[in-house]
Amino acid sequence: MQIDPVKFRHLVEQHQSMVFSIALRVTGEFGVAEEVAQDAFLELHRSGERLESDDHIKFWLRRVTVHRATDALRSRSRRPEAAAEEWMDEQHTDIPGAGLDFGIVARLDELLRALPEAMRIAVVLRYQEEMLPDEIAAMLGQPVATVKSNVQRGLQLLRRKASATMKEYVRAEI
Amino acid sequence: MRKFDEVQDEFEQELGRRMRRVDPPEGFAERLLERAAAQTPLRAKVLTMPRRTVFRAWVGGAIAAALVTGVFVGEQAHLRSRDRKAEAARQQFETAMRVTDRALDPTRASLQRVGLALGD
Repeated sequence: MQIDPVKFRHLVEQHQSMVFSIALRVTGEFGVAEEVAQDAFLELHRSGERLESDDHIKFWLRRVTVHRATDALRSRSRRPEAAAEEWMDEQHTDIPGAGLDFGIVARLDELLRALPEAMRIAVVLRYQEEMLPDEIAAMLGQPVATVKSNVQRGLQLLRRKASATMKEYVRAEI
Repeated sequence: MRKFDEVQDEFEQELGRRMRRVDPPEGFAERLLERAAAQTPLRAKVLTMPRRTVFRAWVGGAIAAALVTGVFVGEQAHLRSRDRKAEAARQQFETAMRVTDRALDPTRASLQRVGLALGD
């Protein structure tokens, strides 16, 4: 049983930004993100999922999008986390009060792409989708402690990278 | 490590503001709806229905014929078995009658000697 076409169109219009944004920030590539987002919606269309509520639809779409995005990453053998681990090795100390300069803010997505996959997903769901750790844990089927750890470590890594990038930016300005 | 229920710092607040949802590329919904329509199996079902019907009718007929044949063969076997049992019973009865008749011969002869007759 498939979803009624009119209802499906409405669902696409309502949730396309959410689905596309998750796909984009997890995969880091515009074209791949569109492919992933379309696949997620098509899976919903094919599955004839019982749409009980808006929360249920959002939960389903977010979960499928994350899974399809990680599948896409793995199939393309893109491993941006290798670069991120190098960052972790190079910088062992927290830089207190490392705020975001607007010039650095513009590069946030680029920094995000270099995070390890699990951290990137947790950060995207936490800060883009404003989901709580227990909601993310339920969606990903992970322990809450794992999700909290991934968010915190991802945040820590982003903060360090942003600080370092800002320093470079300042030096370049001088 | 900071807990989640604590107040977010400047970095997190900025992160939350920056990580807004972005719109998909132009024509995303249209392309998606076209693909969804193309994947709808309605047309395929309509095209395959007659073949499925013929196939199902053929299979149904074969099953029905097999059932009828089975019932007929079974009934014949049952009748043959019943006839064989009846024949065997009849032969056993005749044998028993002959044996009884012979056993009664001396008695019959004794009765004849005293002037009485025992029916055959």
